[in-house]
Amino acid sequence: MVDIDLLKGLTPEDAERVLALGKRVVLTTGAELFHLGDTADSVYVVARGRLRLTLPMQVRSHEEDILVEERSSGQTVGWSALIPPYRFTLTASAPLETEVIALPREALTNYFAAHHDTGYTLTLNLSSVIGHRLQLFQAMWLREIQRMVELRCA
Amino acid sequence: MEMLLMGACLSMFGLAVCCLAFGAATRDSETTATAAPAVEAEMIKAVASPARFFVQPPALPMAARSRVPIEALLLQIENHVRLEHAAAECFLESPNPSLLHSRTISTLVN
Repeated sequence: MVDIDLLKGLTPEDAERVLALGKRVVLTTGAELFHLGDTADSVYVVARGRLRLTLPMQVRSHEEDILVEERSSGQTVGWSALIPPYRFTLTASAPLETEVIALPREALTNYFAAHHDTGYTLTLNLSSVIGHRLQLFQAMWLREIQRMVELRCA
Repeated sequence: MEMLLMGACLSMFGLAVCCLAFGAATRDSETTATAAPAVEAEMIKAVASPARFFVQPPALPMAARSRVPIEALLLQIENHVRLEHAAAECFLESPNPSLLHSRTISTLVN
């Protein structure tokens, strides 16, 4: 089993039980896993391959999907499924054949209700994934603002 | 006697014209003198006004913008995002101002 960020701290048995709640989905090259604004029902763990997370941007009057982040084996995608209003805020697509494990929200929350320790560990791991994204984009945003200031004051 | 009177009248008329001309010239310089600081103040105010971050920069000529093919531009943007991502990761590993504002080699901004 690949090292999965969402399952850190769980025993191999507990991790297997959580993964057993999910369903493996294989994406062909170029296939879209979810689209910006879609209802988010499942959290995804990348089993193999890669996912591109993109946002639309106007480039010369054309809407283009611009890369925001890439996720690879062991990384979690689509945590919007666990956070209201349960809508994806990015588009995810596979630049190469990719396999993901789709973990439905309902199955996860039911499991957490019955297994509090596992639920606690997974929630901490999810907070870590979300927090890392926040810190990363905060730093990227500040770097852009700094450049804008330098440009204006030049 | 008539010649003398005519000379005196012409002299008076000339003097009146000179006075009017002098008065007009003096008024102009005063007005200019009071207007100049106001104009200067306006200029200083304009120069010293704070930079507005969210105002669009002056647009490049269309020819210059369309010179780079859109595919190349998209690659530049993608490369820029990857570099910025890497720079942000470095900052998070060891948070300090110099890493936060480290220079980039991205062709999008250089």
